[in-house]
Amino acid sequence: MTPGGKSLKLARRLKGATKYAILDAVSPIVAVLFAMAVASIALVIIGKNPFQVYATMVSFSFGRADSVASIFFKATPLIFSGLAVAVGFRVGLFNIGVEGQYLMGAFLASWAGFAIKGLPGYVHLPLVILAGALGGALWAFVPIWLKVKRGVHEVITTIMLNHTAFLLLHYLIFDVFMDKSQVVVGGAGSPRVRMPPIELSARVPNLHDALAVFGINLPAHAAVNWLLIGGIALAVGVWYLLWRTPFGLELRTVGHNPRAAETAGIRPQVVYFKAFLLSGAVAGLVGLSDLLGYFGYLDIDFPRGYGFAGIAVALVGRNSPFGIILAALLFGFLSRGGLGIQVLERVPMETYVILQGLIILSIVVASEVVRRYVRAQQKKEEAAAHAEP
Amino acid sequence: MGVSEAVLRVDGVTKRFPGVVANDDVSFDVRPGEIHAVVGENGAGKSTLMKIITGLYPPDKGEIFLRGLPAAFRSPRQAIAAGIGMVHQHFMLVQNFTVAENVILGAEPARRGLIDLREAARQVAELCRRFGLKVDPLARVEDISVGEQQRVEILKVLYRGADLIILDEPTAVLVPQEVSELFEHLLTLKEQGKTVVFISHKLDEVLRVSDRITVLRRGRVVGTVRTGGVTRQRLAEMMVGRPVLFDLRRSANPPGDPVLALEGVTASLGGREVLRDLSLVVRSGEVYGVAGVEGNGQTELAEAIMGLRPVDSGEIRLRGENITNLPTGEVRQRGVAYIPEDRHRRGLALPMTVWENAILGTHRSSEFASRGRLDLRRAFRATEESVLRFDVRLTSILAPVQTLSGGNQQKLILAREFRGQPAFILAAQPTRGLDIGATEFVRQQLLSARDSGAAVLLISADLEEILSVSDRIGVIYNGHIQAEFSQDEADPRTLGAYMTGARTRERKGAAGR
Ligand SMILES: Nc1ncnc2c1ncn2[C@@H]1O[C@H](COP(=O)(O)OP(=O)(O)OP(=O)(O)O)[C@@H](O)[C@H]1O
Ligand SMILES: [Mg+2]
Repeated sequence: MTPGGKSLKLARRLKGATKYAILDAVSPIVAVLFAMAVASIALVIIGKNPFQVYATMVSFSFGRADSVASIFFKATPLIFSGLAVAVGFRVGLFNIGVEGQYLMGAFLASWAGFAIKGLPGYVHLPLVILAGALGGALWAFVPIWLKVKRGVHEVITTIMLNHTAFLLLHYLIFDVFMDKSQVVVGGAGSPRVRMPPIELSARVPNLHDALAVFGINLPAHAAVNWLLIGGIALAVGVWYLLWRTPFGLELRTVGHNPRAAETAGIRPQVVYFKAFLLSGAVAGLVGLSDLLGYFGYLDIDFPRGYGFAGIAVALVGRNSPFGIILAALLFGFLSRGGLGIQVLERVPMETYVILQGLIILSIVVASEVVRRYVRAQQKKEEAAAHAEP
Repeated sequence: MGVSEAVLRVDGVTKRFPGVVANDDVSFDVRPGEIHAVVGENGAGKSTLMKIITGLYPPDKGEIFLRGLPAAFRSPRQAIAAGIGMVHQHFMLVQNFTVAENVILGAEPARRGLIDLREAARQVAELCRRFGLKVDPLARVEDISVGEQQRVEILKVLYRGADLIILDEPTAVLVPQEVSELFEHLLTLKEQGKTVVFISHKLDEVLRVSDRITVLRRGRVVGTVRTGGVTRQRLAEMMVGRPVLFDLRRSANPPGDPVLALEGVTASLGGREVLRDLSLVVRSGEVYGVAGVEGNGQTELAEAIMGLRPVDSGEIRLRGENITNLPTGEVRQRGVAYIPEDRHRRGLALPMTVWENAILGTHRSSEFASRGRLDLRRAFRATEESVLRFDVRLTSILAPVQTLSGGNQQKLILAREFRGQPAFILAAQPTRGLDIGATEFVRQQLLSARDSGAAVLLISADLEEILSVSDRIGVIYNGHIQAEFSQDEADPRTLGAYMTGARTRERKGAAGR
């Protein structure tokens, strides 16, 4: 065995890997185009001109600064929920419970937001955010405990706890923490079913001031807030955790092959436990952008469905933190553009929902096909580059 | 020209993967009714070549002729339709289907749109009779032995009418008895007019059963030779490109203090005792070989030591310290290296990169982690060192480990486990799937670890390996060490008698009870 004649050039290797990454990144774009083509068929069937519909979607979404801001606002919770689902997927667990976890996170944050008074913002807000994470982690604790100790599948328990969370929230808002101080004007209607408003010290400021520095002026009603930046920072943090820390290495190893991890001295059960609680903690933050940056109180009509959307975001973003940011923005755009075509093109609401689902599905399928195609092409290209002298 | 007499002719096939030429202008032919062996070092391109022939990969250049006609298969399905079938090293069977169901899967005999299972069983039984393959068509695959599973794979290709059968390292997973049976089957196939191509690293086997041998080295054909006209030494030279020494250098080495001691260890699996009152001692500076027919508790022995399987009673001590039922991580921290027998299941995370796999297990050591952060630079450097030391052939340490050839995956595990001077090395089937050069290298490494004071427990189904490396040999049968021998008093016949249970319970040097 002679190791001679072998020069292991790190630089060359890194270059090869970058090429992989770039070619790989192109595939989702191709996939979106493919998805739009498929969706066109549906549009033609209902007698709409796909080109016009798409054009409206784009011009409506990007025509005005507040519309763009709305895309970012819609994307904010999806970044958190996508990350929560992805952390689960990376360790080999399917966290369908993000839905329930973020409701509980929102509840605990809301409670910490109105019950604690008199703190300065720089103490109160972090405390409230922590309460959100804690709520999510608590709701993730039961399923992962049952999984690790009793072998109960997490999909079943998390789905059940989603229902439990919603019903519990109902009870807590309606029967325990209902805001009794609401003044109903002139007997018109009834008071909102909601918890007391969150102290101003725990509200998340919007991005208006920061953007004004760059000459971007948003109208007052735009809701995009600092949690967008928080979500992006968290994505960076998750990336760092996964790819640059020993725990991240363990998490991914357990995700790929728990038996090999075990053989290497890692305890898969412990890693499952920590990773799932982390997933739950991230999930607990999903609702905060709406809660602390928009409504300012938790009511019975608090937005739902972010948890399930997070599964699609994680799939489209391929469980990569940066892919998830892009996927969340894409979904934000679809949702905003969907509103546009509903109003301007009179595409009925149902069609838009079908359209959105179709696009999600196509992206997931197409990106897989495209990824394989790119791999094959890339091998050929590489081969040509290594042609005989 | 001999073109018309070749069943299969490969002409100038080239296949490149990023950074490596796996097949470089490969040409050879296979004659009807012959058993043709393909040999070469790990990563020489054998598996790739077979995958090209069966349509799993397209070649970049070159052509393949089947019975004189150009054949460019784009899928294994097309290849099998043309009569070429392949048995892969890792079986692809549905565990809870019966043998017959597995055989017909994808080519089911149907009657009015329904699968005719009775007809299937009949056809499979008929095939078994015709080719002398002993396996029960109605048995479930999960219940049959590895050797039988392999027969099912062979039946699958025969059922689809293959007359050229390719086997990739068929003997790597078999015990000696099963190897002999496989070879009888191959000879029967040959008598029935089938043609066989098989890959192997074991030159003795190749010389025993093949008619001709094609040697690959680093993607190129070195030559095709008639089996009668070549020696093992010559073959090895062709493969490696230089003379190969078959003698291990081993020095006399007085053993030191006990490092690993098992005392009356008992373990069970689903109510059945898999280890019974098992005792053994491995001293510093010695290799203790565990010989035995597979399935007699070897896997469980290794897993019990490593804390991967609970021990019911008895004690395991490492340098005097009780490590019974300690978690694996803590066992490893005490200077234990472990080479698991099943590299895909226990050794590697296949989709992860080479460097990640290379530091797995030591990723929390101060060498690679500081203040909660992985030191990539050091991890890369350590990986490159390991790769060089064990001559792991690869294109990039950033590539997923699954792009490495089978033998190179094994070498990577060895390189990982030999790092950092372990005090105790537990090596289970360490040379499985390795070429002769790498095999000798690994055995030499085991010996030099022993010379520098490590204790080595070698578990191997390969009796030759046990005899050539061990200082002491224990025969395991039915979960118990039946007898122990020193190296000079062990001979294959006696060992064999204990391995099969023909003789039991006698401890050399402990005659007084
Ligand atoms: N899918 C792949 N992608 C990239 N490289 C590959 C791929 N498959 C094989 N290779 C490379 O091609 C070379 C030949 O591999 P191959 O599996 O054919 O070797 P082999 O002769 O079967 O070796 P072994 O005896 O170890 O199984 C190796 O360097 C391997 O790393
Ligand atoms: Mg191979």
